[in-house]
Amino acid sequence: MISVIIHKFSSPKSFVQITKTLYPLFIFTGLFMLIIGWTWGLLFAPPDAVQGNSYRIIFLHVPAVIFAELIYFFMALCALMHIVWRVRLAAYLIKSAAPIGAMITFIGLFSGSIWGIPTWGTWWQWDARITSTLILFIMYLGILTLHGSFSNLEKSDRLMSILVVIGVVNIPIIKKSVDWWSTLHQPASISVSGGSSIDPSMLYPLIISVIGLGFTLISLGILTSRSYILGREKNKKWVLDHV
Amino acid sequence: MFDIAFNNVNEIIGMNGHGIYVWSVYSIAISILVVSFLIAKNRIKGVKRKIKIKNAPS
Repeated sequence: MISVIIHKFSSPKSFVQITKTLYPLFIFTGLFMLIIGWTWGLLFAPPDAVQGNSYRIIFLHVPAVIFAELIYFFMALCALMHIVWRVRLAAYLIKSAAPIGAMITFIGLFSGSIWGIPTWGTWWQWDARITSTLILFIMYLGILTLHGSFSNLEKSDRLMSILVVIGVVNIPIIKKSVDWWSTLHQPASISVSGGSSIDPSMLYPLIISVIGLGFTLISLGILTSRSYILGREKNKKWVLDHV
Repeated sequence: MFDIAFNNVNEIIGMNGHGIYVWSVYSIAISILVVSFLIAKNRIKGVKRKIKIKNAPS
Protein backbone atom coordinates (compact mmCIF):
# COMPACT_ATOMS: atom_id res chain seq x y z
CA MET A 1 0.00 0.00 0.00
CA ILE A 2 2.73 2.48 1.05
CA SER A 3 4.78 1.40 -1.96
CA VAL A 4 1.84 2.07 -4.33
CA ILE A 5 1.25 5.55 -2.86
CA ILE A 6 4.95 6.44 -2.96
CA HIS A 7 5.36 5.39 -6.59
CA LYS A 8 2.17 7.20 -7.61
CA PHE A 9 3.42 10.54 -6.25
CA SER A 10 7.09 10.16 -7.09
CA SER A 11 7.20 10.24 -10.85
CA PRO A 12 9.91 12.64 -12.12
CA LYS A 13 7.42 13.93 -14.71
CA SER A 14 4.87 15.00 -12.07
CA PHE A 15 7.63 16.49 -9.91
CA VAL A 16 8.93 18.68 -12.75
CA GLN A 17 5.42 19.82 -13.69
CA ILE A 18 4.28 20.58 -10.13
CA THR A 19 7.49 22.37 -9.10
CA LYS A 20 7.46 24.48 -12.26
CA THR A 21 4.09 25.86 -11.11
CA LEU A 22 5.19 26.30 -7.48
CA TYR A 23 8.57 27.94 -8.20
CA PRO A 24 7.36 31.57 -8.65
CA LEU A 25 5.35 31.38 -5.41
CA PHE A 26 8.27 29.92 -3.43
CA ILE A 27 10.92 32.32 -4.75
CA PHE A 28 8.69 35.37 -4.20
CA THR A 29 7.79 34.29 -0.63
CA GLY A 30 11.42 33.43 0.14
CA LEU A 31 12.97 36.66 -1.08
CA PHE A 32 10.18 38.80 0.42
CA MET A 33 10.59 37.21 3.87
CA LEU A 34 14.39 37.32 3.69
CA ILE A 35 14.30 41.05 2.90
CA ILE A 36 11.86 41.66 5.78
CA GLY A 37 13.76 39.44 8.24
CA TRP A 38 17.23 40.73 7.42
CA THR A 39 16.19 44.42 7.26
CA TRP A 40 14.42 44.06 10.62
CA GLY A 41 17.39 42.22 12.14
CA LEU A 42 20.11 44.44 10.74
CA LEU A 43 18.49 47.84 11.24
CA PHE A 44 15.58 47.67 13.71
CA ALA A 45 16.45 44.99 16.28
CA PRO A 46 18.24 46.48 19.30
CA PRO A 47 21.96 45.76 19.85
CA ASP A 48 22.78 42.85 22.15
CA ALA A 49 23.76 43.84 25.70
CA VAL A 50 26.95 41.75 25.62
CA GLN A 51 27.90 41.32 21.94
CA GLY A 52 26.80 44.73 20.66
CA ASN A 53 26.05 44.76 16.93
CA SER A 54 28.15 41.72 15.97
CA TYR A 55 25.24 39.48 17.08
CA ARG A 56 23.33 40.64 13.95
CA ILE A 57 25.17 37.85 12.09
CA ILE A 58 22.70 35.54 13.91
CA PHE A 59 19.98 36.35 11.32
CA LEU A 60 22.12 34.66 8.67
CA HIS A 61 24.16 32.16 10.69
CA VAL A 62 21.34 30.41 12.56
CA PRO A 63 19.05 29.93 9.51
CA ALA A 64 22.05 28.69 7.49
CA VAL A 65 23.03 26.08 10.09
CA ILE A 66 19.41 24.98 10.61
CA PHE A 67 19.07 24.27 6.87
CA ALA A 68 22.53 22.67 6.67
CA GLU A 69 21.13 20.00 9.02
CA LEU A 70 17.56 19.89 7.63
CA ILE A 71 18.77 19.39 4.05
CA TYR A 72 20.87 16.43 5.17
CA PHE A 73 17.89 15.00 7.06
CA PHE A 74 15.76 15.40 3.92
CA MET A 75 18.47 13.62 1.91
CA ALA A 76 18.49 10.78 4.44
CA LEU A 77 14.70 10.32 4.06
CA CYS A 78 15.13 10.30 0.27
CA ALA A 79 17.99 7.79 0.62
CA LEU A 80 15.73 5.46 2.62
CA MET A 81 13.03 5.76 -0.04
CA HIS A 82 15.57 4.95 -2.71
CA ILE A 83 17.06 1.97 -0.88
CA VAL A 84 13.75 0.46 0.32
CA TRP A 85 11.31 1.29 -2.50
CA ARG A 86 13.78 1.99 -5.36
CA VAL A 87 12.22 5.41 -6.00
CA ARG A 88 14.22 7.00 -8.83
CA LEU A 89 13.09 10.53 -7.97
CA ALA A 90 14.50 10.15 -4.44
CA ALA A 91 18.02 9.58 -5.81
CA TYR A 92 17.64 12.55 -8.15
CA LEU A 93 16.62 14.75 -5.20
CA ILE A 94 19.62 13.64 -3.12
CA LYS A 95 21.99 14.49 -5.96
CA SER A 96 20.28 17.89 -6.44
CA ALA A 97 20.14 18.76 -2.72
CA ALA A 98 23.76 17.86 -1.88
CA PRO A 99 25.40 20.92 -3.54
CA ILE A 100 22.84 23.20 -1.87
CA GLY A 101 23.57 21.53 1.46
CA ALA A 102 27.31 22.00 0.94
CA MET A 103 26.80 25.64 -0.02
CA ILE A 104 24.61 26.50 2.99
CA THR A 105 26.88 24.56 5.39
CA PHE A 106 29.82 26.59 4.05
CA ILE A 107 27.85 29.81 4.67
CA GLY A 108 27.06 28.60 8.21
CA LEU A 109 30.72 27.79 8.94
CA PHE A 110 32.00 30.96 7.31
CA SER A 111 29.51 33.28 9.07
CA GLY A 112 30.22 31.54 12.39
CA SER A 113 33.98 32.00 11.92
CA ILE A 114 33.61 35.71 11.20
CA TRP A 115 31.22 36.07 14.16
CA GLY A 116 33.80 34.34 16.36
CA ILE A 117 36.46 37.03 15.77
CA PRO A 118 34.77 39.85 17.75
CA THR A 119 32.95 37.58 20.26
CA TRP A 120 35.39 34.73 21.07
CA GLY A 121 38.62 36.37 19.88
CA THR A 122 39.23 33.54 17.41
CA TRP A 123 37.83 32.58 14.00
CA TRP A 124 38.23 28.84 14.57
CA GLN A 125 38.13 26.47 17.53
CA TRP A 126 38.03 22.66 17.36
CA ASP A 127 34.98 22.50 19.62
CA ALA A 128 32.32 19.82 19.21
CA ARG A 129 29.70 21.94 17.41
CA ILE A 130 32.10 23.47 14.88
CA THR A 131 33.94 20.20 14.24
CA SER A 132 30.74 18.19 13.73
CA THR A 133 29.45 20.88 11.35
CA LEU A 134 32.75 20.71 9.44
CA ILE A 135 32.25 16.93 9.20
CA LEU A 136 28.77 17.61 7.77
CA PHE A 137 30.34 19.86 5.11
CA ILE A 138 32.89 17.15 4.26
CA MET A 139 30.02 14.60 4.09
CA TYR A 140 28.23 16.73 1.49
CA LEU A 141 31.43 16.97 -0.59
CA GLY A 142 32.04 13.23 -0.16
CA ILE A 143 28.52 12.39 -1.38
CA LEU A 144 29.00 14.54 -4.48
CA THR A 145 32.45 13.07 -5.15
CA LEU A 146 31.19 9.50 -4.70
CA HIS A 147 28.29 10.06 -7.11
CA GLY A 148 30.64 11.51 -9.72
CA SER A 149 33.06 8.58 -9.44
CA PHE A 150 31.06 5.97 -11.35
CA SER A 151 29.96 5.85 -14.96
CA ASN A 152 27.05 3.56 -14.00
CA LEU A 153 24.54 6.10 -12.64
CA GLU A 154 22.23 3.49 -11.05
CA LYS A 155 25.19 2.13 -9.08
CA SER A 156 26.18 5.70 -8.12
CA ASP A 157 22.65 6.40 -6.88
CA ARG A 158 22.62 3.30 -4.70
CA LEU A 159 26.08 3.86 -3.16
CA MET A 160 25.27 7.54 -2.61
CA SER A 161 22.06 6.59 -0.78
CA ILE A 162 23.94 4.16 1.48
CA LEU A 163 26.55 6.83 2.32
CA VAL A 164 23.82 9.38 3.09
CA VAL A 165 22.10 6.96 5.50
CA ILE A 166 25.41 6.19 7.25
CA GLY A 167 26.21 9.91 7.57
CA VAL A 168 22.88 10.81 9.19
CA VAL A 169 24.33 9.75 12.55
CA ASN A 170 26.19 13.09 12.51
CA ILE A 171 22.96 15.15 12.67
CA PRO A 172 21.99 14.33 16.30
CA ILE A 173 25.67 14.73 17.23
CA ILE A 174 25.64 18.30 15.85
CA LYS A 175 22.34 19.02 17.61
CA LYS A 176 23.35 17.62 21.01
CA SER A 177 27.05 18.57 20.88
CA VAL A 178 26.47 21.67 23.03
CA ASP A 179 24.82 19.51 25.72
CA TRP A 180 27.19 16.52 25.60
CA TRP A 181 30.48 18.44 25.57
CA SER A 182 31.77 21.72 26.95
CA THR A 183 31.93 23.99 23.91
CA LEU A 184 32.25 27.67 23.06
CA HIS A 185 28.68 27.53 21.78
CA GLN A 186 25.89 28.23 24.22
CA PRO A 187 23.11 25.62 24.69
CA ALA A 188 20.05 26.01 22.43
CA SER A 189 18.17 29.30 23.02
CA ILE A 190 15.06 28.18 21.13
CA SER A 191 13.34 24.81 21.36
CA VAL A 192 10.35 23.45 19.49
CA SER A 193 8.71 22.27 22.72
CA GLY A 194 9.74 24.83 25.30
CA GLY A 195 9.73 28.45 24.16
CA SER A 196 12.68 30.79 23.79
CA SER A 197 15.11 32.78 25.91
CA ILE A 198 15.57 35.36 23.12
CA ASP A 199 13.78 38.72 23.36
CA PRO A 200 10.86 38.98 20.88
CA SER A 201 12.50 42.02 19.20
CA MET A 202 15.30 39.66 18.10
CA LEU A 203 13.29 36.41 17.91
CA TYR A 204 10.68 37.57 15.36
CA PRO A 205 13.16 38.71 12.68
CA LEU A 206 15.10 35.49 13.31
CA ILE A 207 12.00 33.35 12.69
CA ILE A 208 11.15 35.35 9.55
CA SER A 209 14.75 34.93 8.31
CA VAL A 210 14.57 31.16 8.89
CA ILE A 211 11.30 30.87 6.92
CA GLY A 212 12.61 33.19 4.19
CA LEU A 213 15.85 31.26 3.74
CA GLY A 214 13.85 28.02 3.74
CA PHE A 215 11.65 29.09 0.84
CA THR A 216 14.68 30.52 -1.01
CA LEU A 217 16.58 27.23 -0.68
CA ILE A 218 13.53 25.22 -1.76
CA SER A 219 13.35 27.45 -4.85
CA LEU A 220 17.03 26.81 -5.55
CA GLY A 221 16.40 23.09 -4.99
CA ILE A 222 13.56 23.18 -7.52
CA LEU A 223 15.89 24.68 -10.15
CA THR A 224 18.79 22.27 -9.53
CA SER A 225 16.53 19.21 -9.39
CA ARG A 226 14.68 20.21 -12.58
CA SER A 227 17.93 20.52 -14.56
CA TYR A 228 19.24 17.24 -13.12
CA ILE A 229 16.00 15.34 -13.78
CA LEU A 230 15.75 16.64 -17.35
CA GLY A 231 19.38 15.59 -17.92
CA ARG A 232 18.90 12.10 -16.46
CA GLU A 233 15.59 11.45 -18.20
CA LYS A 234 16.57 13.09 -21.49
CA ASN A 235 15.63 10.06 -23.57
CA LYS A 236 12.09 9.85 -22.17
CA LYS A 237 9.18 11.09 -24.27
CA TRP A 238 7.79 13.37 -21.54
CA VAL A 239 11.10 15.28 -21.42
CA LEU A 240 10.96 15.92 -25.16
CA ASP A 241 7.40 17.19 -24.76
CA HIS A 242 8.45 19.33 -21.77
CA VAL A 243 11.32 21.17 -23.48
CA MET B 1 10.33 47.29 18.44
CA PHE B 2 10.13 49.17 15.14
CA ASP B 3 12.46 52.08 15.97
CA ILE B 4 15.61 52.06 13.88
CA ALA B 5 18.59 51.11 16.07
CA PHE B 6 20.97 53.67 14.52
CA ASN B 7 21.06 57.48 14.25
CA ASN B 8 22.63 57.87 10.81
CA VAL B 9 24.06 56.00 7.80
CA ASN B 10 27.61 56.10 9.20
CA GLU B 11 26.42 54.24 12.32
CA ILE B 12 24.66 51.67 10.14
CA ILE B 13 27.83 51.05 8.14
CA GLY B 14 30.19 51.14 11.13
CA MET B 15 27.99 49.36 13.73
CA ASN B 16 30.36 50.47 16.51
CA GLY B 17 33.31 48.72 14.93
CA HIS B 18 31.39 45.52 14.06
CA GLY B 19 30.20 46.64 10.62
CA ILE B 20 33.16 45.03 8.86
CA TYR B 21 32.17 41.61 10.25
CA VAL B 22 28.41 41.96 9.80
CA TRP B 23 28.37 43.47 6.30
CA SER B 24 31.13 41.24 4.91
CA VAL B 25 29.27 38.10 6.04
CA TYR B 26 25.96 39.21 4.50
CA SER B 27 27.63 40.43 1.27
CA ILE B 28 29.50 37.16 0.71
CA ALA B 29 26.47 35.00 1.60
CA ILE B 30 24.16 36.96 -0.72
CA SER B 31 26.77 36.75 -3.52
CA ILE B 32 27.03 32.96 -3.07
CA LEU B 33 23.22 32.62 -3.17
CA VAL B 34 22.90 34.81 -6.29
CA VAL B 35 25.67 32.90 -8.10
CA SER B 36 24.01 29.59 -7.15
CA PHE B 37 20.71 30.74 -8.67
CA LEU B 38 22.45 31.95 -11.85
CA ILE B 39 24.31 28.63 -12.23
CA ALA B 40 21.08 26.65 -11.68
CA LYS B 41 19.15 28.77 -14.21
CA ASN B 42 21.96 28.40 -16.79
CA ARG B 43 22.06 24.63 -16.26
CA ILE B 44 18.35 24.30 -17.05
CA LYS B 45 18.82 26.36 -20.20
CA GLY B 46 21.88 24.27 -21.16
CA VAL B 47 20.13 20.95 -20.62
CA LYS B 48 17.05 22.07 -22.58
CA ARG B 49 19.27 23.33 -25.43
CA LYS B 50 21.17 20.02 -25.58
CA ILE B 51 17.93 18.00 -25.65
CA LYS B 52 16.48 20.21 -28.39
CA ILE B 53 19.65 19.95 -30.53
CA LYS B 54 19.80 16.17 -30.03
CA ASN B 55 16.22 15.72 -31.11
CA ALA B 56 16.07 18.32 -33.85
CA PRO B 57 14.91 16.90 -37.21
CA SER B 58 17.94 16.61 -39.50
